[in-house]
Amino acid sequence: MLARSILRPTTGAALLKTAVRNSTRRTATSSATSSNAESPRNLNIAGTVSTLTAIGSIAWYYQQYGCGFGEVHAATPAEEGLHAPKYPWDHQGWLSTFDHQSLRRGFQVYREVCASCHSLSRVPWRALVGVSHTVDEAKAMAEENEYDDEPNDQGEIQKRTGKLSDYIPSPYPNDEAARAANQGALPPDLSLITKARHGGCDYVYALLTGYPDEPPAGANVAEGLNFNPYFPGTGIAMARVLYDGLVEYEDGTPATTSQMAKDVVQFLNWAAEPEMDQRKKMGMKVIIISSVLVGLSIWVKRYKWAPIKARKIVYNPPK
Amino acid sequence: MNCLKVVAQRAATRSIVPRTAALSARSISTFESSDYKSPFAASGKKDTTRIPDFSKYKGGNPNSNKLFGYFMVGTMGVLSAAGAKATIQDFLVNMAASADVLAMAKVEVDLTAIPEGKNVIIKWRGKPIFIRHRTPDEIEEANAVKIESLRDPQTDAERVKQPEWLVMLGICTHLGCVPIGEAGDFGGWFCPCHGSHYDISGRIRRGPAPLNLEIPEYDFPEEGKLVIG
Amino acid sequence: MPISTSIYNALFRRNYVFVGSVFAGAFAFEILFDQATDKLWDNMNKGRQWKDIRHRYVQEE
Repeated sequence: MLARSILRPTTGAALLKTAVRNSTRRTATSSATSSNAESPRNLNIAGTVSTLTAIGSIAWYYQQYGCGFGEVHAATPAEEGLHAPKYPWDHQGWLSTFDHQSLRRGFQVYREVCASCHSLSRVPWRALVGVSHTVDEAKAMAEENEYDDEPNDQGEIQKRTGKLSDYIPSPYPNDEAARAANQGALPPDLSLITKARHGGCDYVYALLTGYPDEPPAGANVAEGLNFNPYFPGTGIAMARVLYDGLVEYEDGTPATTSQMAKDVVQFLNWAAEPEMDQRKKMGMKVIIISSVLVGLSIWVKRYKWAPIKARKIVYNPPK
Repeated sequence: MNCLKVVAQRAATRSIVPRTAALSARSISTFESSDYKSPFAASGKKDTTRIPDFSKYKGGNPNSNKLFGYFMVGTMGVLSAAGAKATIQDFLVNMAASADVLAMAKVEVDLTAIPEGKNVIIKWRGKPIFIRHRTPDEIEEANAVKIESLRDPQTDAERVKQPEWLVMLGICTHLGCVPIGEAGDFGGWFCPCHGSHYDISGRIRRGPAPLNLEIPEYDFPEEGKLVIG
Repeated sequence: MPISTSIYNALFRRNYVFVGSVFAGAFAFEILFDQATDKLWDNMNKGRQWKDIRHRYVQEE
């Protein structure tokens, strides 16, 4: 009773507390007495007000301080790099496949431009068959390269021409050689790059097309680096490589910088997720079947339960 | 202030408990007498035996109702069975050889580079494959053998697709050594581990090995080309 | 005899016929459903898949 007398409401704002007190008494006595007949209304008001207060305060907190959990920024936004904008990729819809013509162009861009520094070590030649190239084209490209053969009788390893089962060759024999050839910077392997970078396709595209003509005033660009706002730290060892007309597409598409970047990003997305087309198709089938199944099982449940729930057991005591 | 409130609440809780019990006992007794009205109660005392009118819920033809019910249950069964089959199939397919293994499973050999009377050993799925370009004399010799006298009776024709090309898995059927070519007492292969002699058709002739050298699956898709696997 | 009764007698009266037709139906349904959804899929992604552009690169001998 002490608490109640202390908390005795004197203002309208304390209506909430009255309601809480009333509700306490109500639940405690398990049946409403006539003295607080209007308590349901008070309860409703109290519930609404407290819910709004809770939502409002949480929203205010998030608005003020952001999500307080799991986000600790060790780097400044400049060190993080500019966040890539969201591009309308036509292959990222729930029900859309890769544009395989674009994959073919993208592979051409990779082969003629990126492959001089970047490896694509997890993609074998055979993976291109039936995706962007015919068997004969893929075989011909594989045969342009030499691979280590199995050791012969003397244990010496000789070279043989490439086969479909071989992987796309790397420009450098190992990471150290790659670093040595690029002033200490390692060109990352591109097989999984759209999965490995925050922002995925958007990031790679923004990076490729985001080189300004000259670094903005005040930017600190170290020797041997280039300025790119999308790269974490803004200093990237790779210079701008894509310029209009750099490659000549065999299907006659104008090879603008953005076209090449879009094609190569879609190709790299394919390299990282070659199963995407199949996966989405399977997902569509699964969703169709399971949504029908859900509806059916709800109907069957009601069908089976209806007599059980609707029955009435009558006991007529003997007179 | 805070601690005061807590103490007060505890006191309140403690005092409430027995009161609740007393009240609930009373509340049961009130059901019979006074103000409680059952929504199911109609007028009249013995109304519990009255059967309500369900005709609104009854369909026309009881058979077509039954048909519809079974149809829905059956459809659910069809969809579940199809889904279960697809799921199990996917898991089983998952256990099959992966694409990179399958890609390595076939080996192409250029036969034009192998002169007559020469052996070539290539690797296929990590195992040695013997390819011999046999001379007409050797083919004749292989055909001249009396099959009844062999431990593992096989004619030479059963072991080759084209008589001039003998393609075998180069693993001794005894304990898995690799036999040596153009050696042994029968002009074929000789396993140095335990002394098994194979003839020019790769059949076991003497020594501990129980079977002839195994023949892999192979094909000649075009002239001068051999595909193993 | 109404048609519903004859269907009932043919399919649902005996449980083994019912279960059997459910399993047979599952196989038939799977084939039809796969065909229908594949067609729908190809229709939604017209011109994007390899089979749509393959003819440009394969010379038939």
